[in-house]
Amino acid sequence: MTRLVEVPTQFDDRSFDQFAGAFAEATKDGERLLFDAHAAEWASPYGLVALLAAGQAAKRSGVAELPLLTAPTQADVLSYWARAGFFREATQLFEIHGRLPRGKPAEESDVLLPVTPVRAAEDVHEVVSKIQQRASAILASELQLDPRATMGFAMALSEACQNIVEHAGTGGWVAVQSYHWRRTLARRVVVIAVADAGVGFRHSLEPTQAKRFGDRWGDAAALEAALIQGVSRFRDPGRGQGLAGIRRYLARWEGKIAIRSGTARIAIVPSWDDDVPLKDGLPAFPGAQVLIIIPEQGSTAR
Amino acid sequence: MIQHIDVHALLRESSSGVYTDLVTRPTGRVVRERISQVMAGAGVDGTGNGPTVARMDFSGVGCMDYSCADEIVAKLLREGVVLLLLWGISDGHREAIEPVLTGHGLAVLHERPDGTLDPLGSPAAAAQLLEQLVAQRLAGRLPGGTFALIGS
Repeated sequence: MTRLVEVPTQFDDRSFDQFAGAFAEATKDGERLLFDAHAAEWASPYGLVALLAAGQAAKRSGVAELPLLTAPTQADVLSYWARAGFFREATQLFEIHGRLPRGKPAEESDVLLPVTPVRAAEDVHEVVSKIQQRASAILASELQLDPRATMGFAMALSEACQNIVEHAGTGGWVAVQSYHWRRTLARRVVVIAVADAGVGFRHSLEPTQAKRFGDRWGDAAALEAALIQGVSRFRDPGRGQGLAGIRRYLARWEGKIAIRSGTARIAIVPSWDDDVPLKDGLPAFPGAQVLIIIPEQGSTAR
Repeated sequence: MIQHIDVHALLRESSSGVYTDLVTRPTGRVVRERISQVMAGAGVDGTGNGPTVARMDFSGVGCMDYSCADEIVAKLLREGVVLLLLWGISDGHREAIEPVLTGHGLAVLHERPDGTLDPLGSPAAAAQLLEQLVAQRLAGRLPGGTFALIGS
């Protein structure tokens, strides 16, 4: 028997909870999963890396066969998913049905970093090196980012990726793209999306933090501890710099970060966005999914 | 005496010539261990037998992230290196190093090309460093209140 998980037609951080709900429901009885993306019309980098994380979780769930994935049928959607490097990674996680475009992901100007696996420190070096070569000019010209902001961007990207290496207990993926953010901003933005299906923040921080939080301990408390209080699972006094550094960087450039892990999601919400700071009781999803948005500089009044 | 340490060269050496960026904890750890070895070889250990000041030259280093700033600069200070001068740092490096040091009450001195010294990190800790350099006759106060190295 195969269980169906529908991929939202507009797949981004907002529709992710709908996807996570379907995923949680479908994985209850250990059957093979079919991720149905045939009707997909658009997916953000967050949607793409999250779909890979779902495939990763399904693959290691003990079901003998790989999960199935029906590829989008719209040619332009299919082409974008290929350009963004999704299928290169997806072929290792899914049995894919549908006609896939041939060739390598193109060096498109909007895809600053195609979907890239992150498993070890070497991968983070590779990501930082690529983004500096590829993105600096685009960040400066399209987003009017100060040259200091482009250096900070590489730092933020490095720290976001290291979160996988240091805490997930498994590999994950990162993607960076610039696009026009119609939803609340009507400006260009650059988006970093990072996802894994690892142990998640609660599990990672539990040995050192659960006692301190007592009855409040859970996914939301773990996210709050990591992002707001800057705590780390390591007792080393210098730990916890990564997320704190990302926060400082985003505060300076009016950026946003949202982290979803387990059943909770936390966000540092800039004035131009209408997201909520903390949500709990969401459908469970393994690992952690991070979204970072840096808007084009200038007036960000809505 | 001030010992000169070429961080970019140590990074290349530690990564078989592959990396130019100081990113990730593991990379920072390896580079710090190499720096410690170089310092120990020259007696920069606070015993008074060798140089008490090390000039870490970051010229040629690309991006530095917060984790590496902590793993290299802050940990060397926490391990008791007497005094660090940083040379060749970019605005980006500074952005990574400064908050990491400030958060732990630590400081280093950024040596500018003209020899003037720019404190980075905790103001109180930086004031102590400047006092030490003056006491060792390695730095002096300039008219206007800034400090500069003497005969470096």
